[in-house]
Amino acid sequence: MDPDLTKPWALPEEFLKRTFALINSDKDRNSASLVCKDWYNAERFSRRHVSIRNCYSVSPEIVAARFPGIRSVTLKGKPRFSDFNLVPEDWGADVQSWLSVFAAAYPFLEELRLKRMAVSDESLEYLAMNFHGFKALSLLSCDGFSTIGLEAINGIDDLGGDWLSYVPENLTSLEVLNFAALDSEVSFDALESLVSRCKSLRVLKVNRKISLDQLRRLIELAPKLTELGTGSFAEDLVSSSVTELESAFSKCRDLHTLSGFWDVTLLYLPVIFPVCGNLTFLNLSYATLGAIELECILTRCKSLRRLWVLDTVGDEGLEMVGSCCPLLEELRVFPADPFNQELGVTESGFLSVSNGCPNLHYVLYFCQRMTNAAVATVAQNCPNFTHFRLCIMSPGEPDYLTNEPMDEAFGAIVKTCPNLRRLSVSGRLTDLAFEYIGNHAKNLETFSVAFAGTSDLGMEYVMRGCPKLRRVEIRDCPFGDNALLSGLAQYESMRSLWMSACNVTTDGCKKLADEMPRLNVEVIKDDGGEDGSADKVYIYRTVAGPRTDAPPFVVTL
Amino acid sequence: MDGTLGLLGGIHGGADGGGGGDGGGVPSCGSILTNSKEDDTMNDQDMLAEVSSSYPVDDDLELGLGLRIGGGGSNAIQEGSRILRPNSCSSSSSSSSVNITNSSIAGFKKSAIDSVSPPNAASVVGWPPIRRAHRMPILANRIKSERKEYSSRAKSYLSVKVNMDGTLIGRKVDLNAHNSYETLARTLENMFYGRQTIGRSRLLSGTSEFVLTYEDKDGDCMLVGDVPWQMFVSSVKRLRILRSPKSRNCI
Repeated sequence: MDPDLTKPWALPEEFLKRTFALINSDKDRNSASLVCKDWYNAERFSRRHVSIRNCYSVSPEIVAARFPGIRSVTLKGKPRFSDFNLVPEDWGADVQSWLSVFAAAYPFLEELRLKRMAVSDESLEYLAMNFHGFKALSLLSCDGFSTIGLEAINGIDDLGGDWLSYVPENLTSLEVLNFAALDSEVSFDALESLVSRCKSLRVLKVNRKISLDQLRRLIELAPKLTELGTGSFAEDLVSSSVTELESAFSKCRDLHTLSGFWDVTLLYLPVIFPVCGNLTFLNLSYATLGAIELECILTRCKSLRRLWVLDTVGDEGLEMVGSCCPLLEELRVFPADPFNQELGVTESGFLSVSNGCPNLHYVLYFCQRMTNAAVATVAQNCPNFTHFRLCIMSPGEPDYLTNEPMDEAFGAIVKTCPNLRRLSVSGRLTDLAFEYIGNHAKNLETFSVAFAGTSDLGMEYVMRGCPKLRRVEIRDCPFGDNALLSGLAQYESMRSLWMSACNVTTDGCKKLADEMPRLNVEVIKDDGGEDGSADKVYIYRTVAGPRTDAPPFVVTL
Repeated sequence: MDGTLGLLGGIHGGADGGGGGDGGGVPSCGSILTNSKEDDTMNDQDMLAEVSSSYPVDDDLELGLGLRIGGGGSNAIQEGSRILRPNSCSSSSSSSSVNITNSSIAGFKKSAIDSVSPPNAASVVGWPPIRRAHRMPILANRIKSERKEYSSRAKSYLSVKVNMDGTLIGRKVDLNAHNSYETLARTLENMFYGRQTIGRSRLLSGTSEFVLTYEDKDGDCMLVGDVPWQMFVSSVKRLRILRSPKSRNCI
């Protein structure tokens, strides 16, 4: 096609087409599509993957109309707080309405990644029947289906847990096999056969039903693994088997990620020693290890970048982390027994890690107590935080040494860490903490807060001060309608806002809804709530209008 | 970025994700299901590492790649701490793995910090914010006692009794002063024979008329030297040097 001579800058269509085919970054694509109509069209025809991070922000019809060539879709549904039981069942996010449209628009769809979507067995059957070239389905935190549904993907009617036997014999190109989260037994023969014929297998994560001996046999078949998730370590191996297992591990020279470790004890931990030196990611969050066992491992893990542990390792264990893993970038410490105040980790462990690991930029830390001074020191030691998620498990807990609010702690973080993108706060906090955040956390995108703040001002500081907010989650804070309305200017550039158990009223929500027609302002009605109070509010931008599938307890204002 | 598809000006673009190569970039391999209980905060790189797809995904993607073939799995399972709520709309799938009192409050309104005391963590729905995958029904006492045991071991020395067949008076040896069987055996030889062998200790090599055994946590009599040193140290209760090979009665 000849360039239009009235537009001297117009480029040939073929040129645009080929150029856009090379652009992978979503941000670049989004920007490019705004330049002019030609570029908009070139972009939309060449796009192969689309991510919809809020399934209600757009309708499947709009997606299909704009992007005719999609092969891969990512779809997220429920608000994150649904993970913590704050969203009633049957809230929505049913994938079926999307599948129906995609069946017509994208018959060649290959990949579907779903997170917090409701997926029924019927939907999975529908998927199997309508998308013949389908290759990869990923379901994270989804609910609604059972074994029957998953087997339908491969056209099998039989029940039973041996889904592996139905994998075609001629499938030899598998690279990733991860069934760590499935509870059912699998046929080991089928598994062994699959692993043995798929020479390209790089990621293997088995579930707890796989024994150590079975694991050994699998590893021996796949020494080129880069990521391994073990099964259960609860077994009595004869000593010769221990040696064989250790030897099998030692042949895995490419292994850089390890996880699993259910029921592991000091007895069998040494089998992984041969691979520790190459590990970059170690997930021990299912292993109730103590400090000594952790030390045994960590002294050998000099290259570790990411570590997930249970707080059974204690502050002593975290000292080991600080001294053994100087390259550590990410640490997550999960509580084994959240309601036992005598166990777990404290500020001391946090300090030890920050002293030894200056590259730390991602932390998720569950603890029983904390001090402002400790967090301030942590911030000094690790000024590169991008994700700082501190959960002091008693709601509204102050600095346990000074009894003051934890304002200065988070103040220190936001003042010292300019790259902070995600922040979760806890402990007793006054509006001052929020003022600090609003004044300093200019790159903040995700913000979660519970049991904090003194007045509307708190939320206002953040909504007015942080221009890059995308997702805000608030629960049990004294923020009312004024606070809600203070974010008016932000909500259209944010993905969503969740507020529950705050002081927001339906009137306030209605006012917001009236001012901002392109937002869905949804109130989830709880039985027994006071009239007029909006106990759970979920607000998000959308081009699809109010939900057409809302259950009776979701009211769009 | 997120969902709006940018038909409105001024909103940060629209959908995310990259366009891969045109047409031909279809992965020929399959990837198998992660019906995953991964914590939703799973790091992007970890997810990316699982992806064997030719469709590059942007950094904000928090999903892993999954299985298409027969999948399996029983109840794949809404993640979430299944804390019982008094007003719960549905009764079916809630099962609590956590001690929660039935006076659960769905929320707690605070007007001012000082006038209201915060609720007890155990009585609040969805708090602490942990998904079921990381809540483990652990007996607090077991952990506590194990920790005490390990930390006391770590501190000073770990001395165990050593008895030799035919010798009335036993000895004690500090296992933490050794880091291998060889040095332990030599020390024992020194103690009981008053001399040391050249080359490998005869106690370990089986050329002596004596054999070195130990009693483990379960009370069983075991030959010293089979398991890695650390494993041995963690399970040994006492040592016995017995006449071999006919000495089968250990206790």
